[in-house]
Amino acid sequence: MNTTPDTTTVGNGGDFDPQQAATLLGQTTQQARRKFQPSPPWLLVTRAVMVLAALGAIWLSVRGQHPYRGPTAADIPVLVAFIVVNFAATVAVRRHATAGLSGRSRFSQSEITVLVLAFAAAVVAMAGLRAAGVDFATYPTSVLVVPGLAWAVLMAARANWRGLATGLAIVVIGIVGAFAGPAGAWAVAAVGLCVMLLGSATAIAWQQRA
Amino acid sequence: MNDDGLDPLIHVPTRLKIVATLAALPDGDTLSFTRLQDMLELTPGNLIIQLRKLEEAGYLGSEKIRNGSAQKTTVALTSNGRKALGAYTQALRGLLNGL
Repeated sequence: MNTTPDTTTVGNGGDFDPQQAATLLGQTTQQARRKFQPSPPWLLVTRAVMVLAALGAIWLSVRGQHPYRGPTAADIPVLVAFIVVNFAATVAVRRHATAGLSGRSRFSQSEITVLVLAFAAAVVAMAGLRAAGVDFATYPTSVLVVPGLAWAVLMAARANWRGLATGLAIVVIGIVGAFAGPAGAWAVAAVGLCVMLLGSATAIAWQQRA
Repeated sequence: MNDDGLDPLIHVPTRLKIVATLAALPDGDTLSFTRLQDMLELTPGNLIIQLRKLEEAGYLGSEKIRNGSAQKTTVALTSNGRKALGAYTQALRGLLNGL
Protein backbone atom coordinates (compact mmCIF):
# COMPACT_ATOMS: atom_id res chain seq x y z
CA MET A 1 0.00 0.00 0.00
CA ASN A 2 1.05 3.53 -0.61
CA THR A 3 2.09 5.21 2.59
CA THR A 4 3.26 8.39 0.87
CA PRO A 5 0.76 11.21 1.16
CA ASP A 6 -0.39 12.36 -2.24
CA THR A 7 -1.15 16.03 -2.51
CA THR A 8 -2.26 15.88 -6.14
CA THR A 9 -5.56 17.54 -5.40
CA VAL A 10 -3.88 20.45 -3.68
CA GLY A 11 -1.95 21.18 -6.84
CA ASN A 12 0.81 23.24 -5.26
CA GLY A 13 2.28 20.45 -3.16
CA GLY A 14 0.28 21.27 -0.07
CA ASP A 15 2.34 20.83 3.08
CA PHE A 16 5.20 19.30 1.14
CA ASP A 17 7.91 21.84 1.91
CA PRO A 18 11.21 22.18 0.01
CA GLN A 19 13.23 20.57 2.80
CA GLN A 20 11.02 17.48 2.75
CA ALA A 21 11.16 17.42 -1.03
CA ALA A 22 14.97 17.59 -1.04
CA THR A 23 15.18 14.77 1.51
CA LEU A 24 12.73 12.60 -0.43
CA LEU A 25 14.51 13.32 -3.73
CA GLY A 26 17.90 12.38 -2.25
CA GLN A 27 16.61 9.21 -0.58
CA THR A 28 14.67 8.04 -3.62
CA THR A 29 17.59 8.67 -5.98
CA GLN A 30 20.03 6.75 -3.76
CA GLN A 31 17.61 3.87 -3.28
CA ALA A 32 16.95 3.63 -7.01
CA ARG A 33 20.66 3.68 -7.83
CA ARG A 34 21.27 0.92 -5.29
CA LYS A 35 18.42 -1.22 -6.60
CA PHE A 36 19.43 -0.82 -10.27
CA GLN A 37 23.12 -1.52 -9.56
CA PRO A 38 24.05 -4.92 -11.06
CA SER A 39 27.37 -4.97 -9.15
CA PRO A 40 26.56 -3.66 -5.67
CA PRO A 41 29.51 -2.75 -3.43
CA TRP A 42 28.67 -5.48 -0.88
CA LEU A 43 28.93 -8.13 -3.60
CA LEU A 44 32.23 -6.73 -4.86
CA VAL A 45 33.69 -6.63 -1.34
CA THR A 46 32.54 -10.22 -0.74
CA ARG A 47 34.14 -11.28 -4.01
CA ALA A 48 37.33 -9.42 -3.06
CA VAL A 49 37.58 -11.33 0.22
CA MET A 50 36.76 -14.61 -1.51
CA VAL A 51 39.31 -14.14 -4.27
CA LEU A 52 42.00 -13.20 -1.77
CA ALA A 53 41.20 -16.26 0.36
CA ALA A 54 40.85 -18.76 -2.51
CA LEU A 55 43.80 -17.69 -4.66
CA GLY A 56 45.89 -16.75 -1.63
CA ALA A 57 45.41 -20.27 -0.24
CA ILE A 58 46.61 -21.73 -3.53
CA TRP A 59 49.62 -19.43 -3.54
CA LEU A 60 50.51 -20.59 -0.02
CA SER A 61 50.37 -24.22 -1.18
CA VAL A 62 52.45 -23.75 -4.35
CA ARG A 63 55.04 -21.17 -3.27
CA GLY A 64 57.34 -23.80 -1.79
CA GLN A 65 57.26 -26.10 -4.83
CA HIS A 66 60.63 -26.65 -6.50
CA PRO A 67 60.10 -27.44 -9.30
CA TYR A 68 56.63 -25.92 -9.70
CA ARG A 69 53.92 -28.59 -10.06
CA GLY A 70 50.81 -26.45 -9.78
CA PRO A 71 47.86 -26.50 -7.39
CA THR A 72 47.44 -29.69 -5.38
CA ALA A 73 44.42 -31.97 -5.64
CA ALA A 74 43.09 -30.35 -2.47
CA ASP A 75 43.29 -26.87 -4.03
CA ILE A 76 41.26 -27.65 -7.15
CA PRO A 77 37.87 -28.04 -5.37
CA VAL A 78 38.47 -24.69 -3.63
CA LEU A 79 39.16 -23.01 -6.97
CA VAL A 80 36.16 -24.63 -8.67
CA ALA A 81 33.89 -23.75 -5.73
CA PHE A 82 35.10 -20.17 -5.85
CA ILE A 83 34.38 -19.88 -9.58
CA VAL A 84 30.94 -21.52 -9.32
CA VAL A 85 29.80 -19.49 -6.28
CA ASN A 86 31.15 -16.28 -7.78
CA PHE A 87 29.41 -16.89 -11.10
CA ALA A 88 26.10 -17.91 -9.49
CA ALA A 89 26.06 -14.92 -7.12
CA THR A 90 26.91 -12.50 -9.91
CA VAL A 91 24.18 -13.85 -12.20
CA ALA A 92 21.56 -13.88 -9.41
CA VAL A 93 22.30 -10.32 -8.24
CA ARG A 94 22.48 -8.97 -11.80
CA ARG A 95 19.19 -10.66 -12.71
CA HIS A 96 17.49 -9.17 -9.64
CA ALA A 97 18.86 -5.67 -10.32
CA THR A 98 17.90 -5.62 -13.98
CA ALA A 99 14.45 -7.21 -13.57
CA GLY A 100 11.93 -5.16 -15.53
CA LEU A 101 14.66 -3.11 -17.17
CA SER A 102 15.24 -2.91 -20.88
CA GLY A 103 17.80 -0.97 -22.81
CA ARG A 104 21.50 -0.50 -22.30
CA SER A 105 21.44 -1.57 -18.64
CA ARG A 106 21.18 -5.13 -19.86
CA PHE A 107 23.84 -6.90 -21.88
CA SER A 108 22.79 -7.52 -25.46
CA GLN A 109 23.08 -11.01 -26.95
CA SER A 110 26.05 -9.88 -29.07
CA GLU A 111 27.87 -8.52 -26.00
CA ILE A 112 27.35 -11.80 -24.13
CA THR A 113 28.64 -13.66 -27.21
CA VAL A 114 31.77 -11.48 -27.28
CA LEU A 115 32.49 -12.23 -23.61
CA VAL A 116 31.97 -15.98 -24.03
CA LEU A 117 34.19 -15.99 -27.13
CA ALA A 118 36.84 -14.01 -25.23
CA PHE A 119 37.02 -16.71 -22.56
CA ALA A 120 37.16 -19.42 -25.24
CA ALA A 121 39.88 -17.47 -27.07
CA ALA A 122 41.87 -17.16 -23.85
CA VAL A 123 41.81 -20.93 -23.34
CA VAL A 124 42.78 -21.57 -26.98
CA ALA A 125 45.58 -18.98 -26.81
CA MET A 126 46.93 -20.46 -23.58
CA ALA A 127 46.87 -23.96 -25.04
CA GLY A 128 48.69 -22.70 -28.15
CA LEU A 129 51.32 -20.86 -26.11
CA ARG A 130 51.79 -23.88 -23.87
CA ALA A 131 52.37 -26.08 -26.92
CA ALA A 132 54.93 -23.52 -28.11
CA GLY A 133 56.71 -23.82 -24.78
CA VAL A 134 55.89 -20.35 -23.47
CA ASP A 135 56.35 -20.31 -19.68
CA PHE A 136 53.53 -18.00 -18.68
CA ALA A 137 50.90 -19.82 -20.80
CA THR A 138 49.64 -21.77 -17.79
CA TYR A 139 49.89 -18.97 -15.21
CA PRO A 140 46.54 -18.20 -13.57
CA THR A 141 46.86 -14.55 -14.54
CA SER A 142 47.30 -15.29 -18.26
CA VAL A 143 43.67 -16.33 -18.59
CA LEU A 144 42.65 -12.80 -17.58
CA VAL A 145 44.22 -10.86 -20.46
CA VAL A 146 41.84 -11.60 -23.35
CA PRO A 147 38.58 -11.41 -21.34
CA GLY A 148 39.89 -8.25 -19.64
CA LEU A 149 40.54 -6.68 -23.05
CA ALA A 150 37.11 -7.76 -24.32
CA TRP A 151 35.46 -6.26 -21.24
CA ALA A 152 37.42 -3.02 -21.70
CA VAL A 153 36.35 -2.76 -25.36
CA LEU A 154 32.68 -3.41 -24.51
CA MET A 155 32.74 -0.84 -21.72
CA ALA A 156 34.46 1.73 -23.95
CA ALA A 157 31.72 1.19 -26.55
CA ARG A 158 29.15 1.89 -23.82
CA ALA A 159 31.11 4.97 -22.65
CA ASN A 160 31.27 3.27 -19.24
CA TRP A 161 34.62 4.60 -18.03
CA ARG A 162 34.58 2.81 -14.69
CA GLY A 163 33.98 -0.47 -16.51
CA LEU A 164 36.76 0.39 -18.96
CA ALA A 165 39.15 1.01 -16.03
CA THR A 166 38.14 -2.36 -14.54
CA GLY A 167 38.86 -4.14 -17.83
CA LEU A 168 42.25 -2.46 -18.19
CA ALA A 169 43.10 -3.27 -14.56
CA ILE A 170 42.38 -6.95 -15.27
CA VAL A 171 44.68 -6.80 -18.32
CA VAL A 172 47.43 -5.20 -16.21
CA ILE A 173 47.07 -7.95 -13.57
CA GLY A 174 47.41 -10.53 -16.36
CA ILE A 175 50.55 -8.87 -17.73
CA VAL A 176 52.18 -8.35 -14.30
CA GLY A 177 51.45 -11.99 -13.47
CA ALA A 178 53.41 -13.10 -16.52
CA PHE A 179 56.56 -11.68 -14.90
CA ALA A 180 55.89 -13.12 -11.43
CA GLY A 181 56.68 -16.76 -12.10
CA PRO A 182 54.24 -19.66 -11.87
CA ALA A 183 53.81 -19.51 -8.09
CA GLY A 184 54.03 -15.73 -7.83
CA ALA A 185 51.28 -15.36 -10.45
CA TRP A 186 48.80 -16.79 -7.91
CA ALA A 187 49.75 -14.05 -5.45
CA VAL A 188 49.48 -11.41 -8.17
CA ALA A 189 46.03 -12.72 -9.13
CA ALA A 190 44.89 -12.83 -5.47
CA VAL A 191 46.10 -9.36 -4.52
CA GLY A 192 45.47 -7.72 -7.91
CA LEU A 193 41.90 -8.93 -8.27
CA CYS A 194 41.17 -8.15 -4.61
CA VAL A 195 42.44 -4.58 -5.00
CA MET A 196 40.58 -4.16 -8.31
CA LEU A 197 37.30 -5.37 -6.75
CA LEU A 198 37.71 -3.15 -3.69
CA GLY A 199 38.47 -0.20 -5.98
CA SER A 200 35.30 -0.89 -8.00
CA ALA A 201 33.25 -1.21 -4.80
CA THR A 202 34.57 2.14 -3.56
CA ALA A 203 33.89 3.85 -6.90
CA ILE A 204 30.33 2.49 -7.07
CA ALA A 205 29.59 3.42 -3.45
CA TRP A 206 30.91 6.92 -4.14
CA GLN A 207 28.80 7.19 -7.30
CA GLN A 208 25.67 6.07 -5.44
CA ARG A 209 26.10 8.76 -2.82
CA ALA A 210 26.80 11.56 -5.31
CA MET B 1 5.21 26.84 -11.92
CA ASN B 2 4.56 27.61 -8.23
CA ASP B 3 5.38 30.95 -6.66
CA ASP B 4 8.52 29.35 -5.25
CA GLY B 5 9.59 28.20 -8.73
CA LEU B 6 8.86 24.52 -8.09
CA ASP B 7 7.15 22.59 -10.87
CA PRO B 8 3.76 21.57 -9.37
CA LEU B 9 3.69 18.41 -11.47
CA ILE B 10 6.84 17.14 -9.79
CA HIS B 11 6.37 18.77 -6.38
CA VAL B 12 4.11 16.00 -5.15
CA PRO B 13 5.68 13.18 -3.08
CA THR B 14 4.45 10.30 -5.20
CA ARG B 15 5.33 11.89 -8.53
CA LEU B 16 8.68 13.09 -7.21
CA LYS B 17 9.51 9.49 -6.28
CA ILE B 18 8.45 8.26 -9.71
CA VAL B 19 10.51 10.86 -11.54
CA ALA B 20 13.57 10.40 -9.28
CA THR B 21 13.43 6.61 -9.71
CA LEU B 22 13.18 6.77 -13.49
CA ALA B 23 15.94 9.42 -13.62
CA ALA B 24 18.30 6.90 -11.98
CA LEU B 25 18.13 4.81 -15.16
CA PRO B 26 20.56 5.49 -18.00
CA ASP B 27 19.08 7.65 -20.75
CA GLY B 28 17.08 5.48 -23.16
CA ASP B 29 16.39 2.65 -20.70
CA THR B 30 12.85 1.72 -19.78
CA LEU B 31 11.35 0.16 -16.65
CA SER B 32 8.39 -2.16 -16.42
CA PHE B 33 5.27 -0.93 -14.67
CA THR B 34 5.37 -3.86 -12.22
CA ARG B 35 8.99 -3.24 -11.17
CA LEU B 36 8.27 0.46 -10.66
CA GLN B 37 5.20 -0.43 -8.62
CA ASP B 38 7.25 -2.84 -6.48
CA MET B 39 10.00 -0.31 -5.92
CA LEU B 40 7.67 2.51 -4.89
CA GLU B 41 5.16 0.30 -3.05
CA LEU B 42 2.22 1.97 -4.76
CA THR B 43 -1.14 0.51 -5.65
CA PRO B 44 -1.60 -0.03 -9.42
CA GLY B 45 -4.45 2.50 -9.50
CA ASN B 46 -2.46 5.22 -7.79
CA LEU B 47 0.56 4.59 -9.98
CA ILE B 48 -1.51 4.71 -13.17
CA ILE B 49 -3.04 8.05 -12.16
CA GLN B 50 0.34 9.60 -11.43
CA LEU B 51 1.96 8.20 -14.57
CA ARG B 52 -0.88 9.53 -16.68
CA LYS B 53 -0.38 13.05 -15.30
CA LEU B 54 3.35 12.91 -16.02
CA GLU B 55 2.73 11.49 -19.49
CA GLU B 56 0.21 14.20 -20.32
CA ALA B 57 2.84 16.79 -19.39
CA GLY B 58 5.34 15.13 -21.72
CA TYR B 59 7.66 14.15 -18.86
CA LEU B 60 7.23 10.44 -19.35
CA GLY B 61 6.71 8.02 -22.19
CA SER B 62 5.08 4.62 -21.96
CA GLU B 63 4.94 1.67 -24.28
CA LYS B 64 2.80 -1.44 -24.26
CA ILE B 65 4.60 -4.57 -25.42
CA ARG B 66 2.55 -7.65 -26.26
CA ASN B 67 4.31 -10.94 -25.65
CA GLY B 68 1.94 -13.75 -26.59
CA SER B 69 -1.12 -13.39 -24.40
CA ALA B 70 0.67 -11.23 -21.82
CA GLN B 71 1.04 -7.49 -22.13
CA LYS B 72 3.83 -5.55 -20.50
CA THR B 73 3.87 -1.80 -19.99
CA THR B 74 7.20 -0.03 -19.80
CA VAL B 75 7.84 3.58 -18.82
CA ALA B 76 10.75 5.98 -19.15
CA LEU B 77 11.46 9.63 -18.57
CA THR B 78 11.55 11.74 -21.72
CA SER B 79 14.27 14.33 -22.27
CA ASN B 80 11.70 16.93 -21.21
CA GLY B 81 11.13 14.97 -18.02
CA ARG B 82 14.87 14.92 -17.27
CA LYS B 83 15.12 18.64 -17.96
CA ALA B 84 12.12 19.31 -15.71
CA LEU B 85 13.67 17.30 -12.87
CA GLY B 86 16.96 19.18 -13.37
CA ALA B 87 15.14 22.51 -13.20
CA TYR B 88 13.17 21.33 -10.14
CA THR B 89 16.39 20.25 -8.40
CA GLN B 90 17.97 23.64 -9.17
CA ALA B 91 14.92 25.46 -7.82
CA LEU B 92 15.02 23.35 -4.65
CA ARG B 93 18.70 24.13 -4.15
CA GLY B 94 18.00 27.82 -4.62
CA LEU B 95 15.20 27.75 -2.07
CA LEU B 96 17.21 25.78 0.50
CA ASN B 97 20.29 27.97 0.09
CA GLY B 98 18.11 30.98 0.66
CA LEU B 99 16.80 29.64 3.97
